[in-house]
Amino acid sequence: MKRALFALVSLLPCAALAASLQPLSAGDVAALVKPPTHGERIIALWALDCAYCEGNLSALATLQRAHPNDIELITVATDSYEQHDMLQMHLKMAQVDNYPARAYTEASPDRLNFLIDPSWGGETPRVLVIRANGSRMGISGELGPAQLQRLH
Amino acid sequence: MRRLLIALLCLCSPALFAYDDMHMDMPKEPPLGASAAFDSHGRLWIVDAADGHVRLRHSDDDGRTLSAPAIVNSIAEPIYAEGENRPKLVLGLHDDIDISWSQPRAKPWTGFVRFARSRDHGATFSAPLSVHRDRAEITHRFDALAVDGKGRVVIAWIDKRDQEAASQQKKPYLGAAVYFSWSNNGGASFVPERKLIDQSCECCRIALSLTPNGEVAAFFRSIYGDNIRDHAYAVLHVDGRASHADRATFTNWKIEGCPHHGPGLAIGSDGTRHAVWYEAKDKPTIWYGQLQPGHAPTHLLTVANAGASHADIAVHGRTVWIVWNQVSASGYALMLRSSTDGGVHFSAAREIAHSTDAVASPQLLQKRNQPFVAWNTAGGFQLVPIRAAR
Repeated sequence: MKRALFALVSLLPCAALAASLQPLSAGDVAALVKPPTHGERIIALWALDCAYCEGNLSALATLQRAHPNDIELITVATDSYEQHDMLQMHLKMAQVDNYPARAYTEASPDRLNFLIDPSWGGETPRVLVIRANGSRMGISGELGPAQLQRLH
Repeated sequence: MRRLLIALLCLCSPALFAYDDMHMDMPKEPPLGASAAFDSHGRLWIVDAADGHVRLRHSDDDGRTLSAPAIVNSIAEPIYAEGENRPKLVLGLHDDIDISWSQPRAKPWTGFVRFARSRDHGATFSAPLSVHRDRAEITHRFDALAVDGKGRVVIAWIDKRDQEAASQQKKPYLGAAVYFSWSNNGGASFVPERKLIDQSCECCRIALSLTPNGEVAAFFRSIYGDNIRDHAYAVLHVDGRASHADRATFTNWKIEGCPHHGPGLAIGSDGTRHAVWYEAKDKPTIWYGQLQPGHAPTHLLTVANAGASHADIAVHGRTVWIVWNQVSASGYALMLRSSTDGGVHFSAAREIAHSTDAVASPQLLQKRNQPFVAWNTAGGFQLVPIRAAR
């Protein structure tokens, strides 16, 4: 029984991770962009129709793993949550399916784009860094090594 | 111990089921990608996609009521109908209805460009055909459709065959290519496709407009140098002459990514190439300009900034209209700026419609020279008339 319990407990995180994609509606944005209590939150905005996005997600995950106590990483897909299965597949391919993940609930992305970051026009990939002191930094496009360093 | 095990299972399962339920219960509405056009009698035609079918509806009261849908492709297939990808509709000679769309294939970012037409006002449709000879499971997407002055159907699209070939040879290749083809027999078949340009942007719609002599011109986002995503202009010759694309915008926006914002083009009867495009080098900006291919555009104007997206443009005589979506916390405004002096000066921005529901890109239409905007919203299709400001 002990072994079964151990096996089940080890499975729990996987089960939770496999189902981690959650919808993001306009009412959720305030909490998403609220400054963290310490360190910084990196919001990795991506889209299915974006050949540059998976590489960017992977690079941000690598950065997060190098600073696990200071960086909170959340992935946000601008595609509809209805495409849940496809989104999960891409998150897995980019090896970021163990991070909190959201997907838009609206049929077109523009309003949520604007609510998350008014200085962003929807191009992807986009990274939004929100620091504990309330400051923000947004960068569009796949991040090079120099830009990645600027994030932290 | 057993109790602990059960407690753990109970903790775990509701969370999983909750996600499953949410996924299962979310209603799947038809995607918002749609196109509209008036025929020569003033009847409005609209195409969109639902449940694997491109569907065609019409309206004889300027969009207030729509007919039951006619199914264009009798056999269901996947259809791109979101964002910059949407079924296209053009009325050809004798009000023939020409329709194109992009069909997703199994792998991500792949597609085939499809075409069907009706010669009996939507009663029957030709069997859909794939326009390109290349059948590799790669990107042939973002179709753009026009009918030239002689009634030839012209289709341009974004194509990754050259990117794939370069990748196999481990050679650098940015973005995708633009290919085009045309039909000399009313859409029964298309000539083998031609490449217009290598290394163009891979995720933005292509704008088409007719030149005064009836040729089809294309305006699209290309790539210059190291991911500078400015736009190119080309006339798509269908008479054997080579087509050549020239750089036509010079914003120098560098982005190794997908802008998801294609441009708009409307060529006046005097040949003036009125255009709108998006860039975000310093901040999100929609520009207006008159294209001088090979050189910087003239009459440059910032149309709108933050929250503005997906502009379209139309011209009639000296009047030029620009519409776009302007988003705010309260929803979407359909905005208008117009010019009565051929694009030299434009009016201030004016809201002509509002939606709290999600919206698709606006499309300018003209019915006997009267301007309208086709605006598909999650709350329903709207045809918004453009009236002179009071």
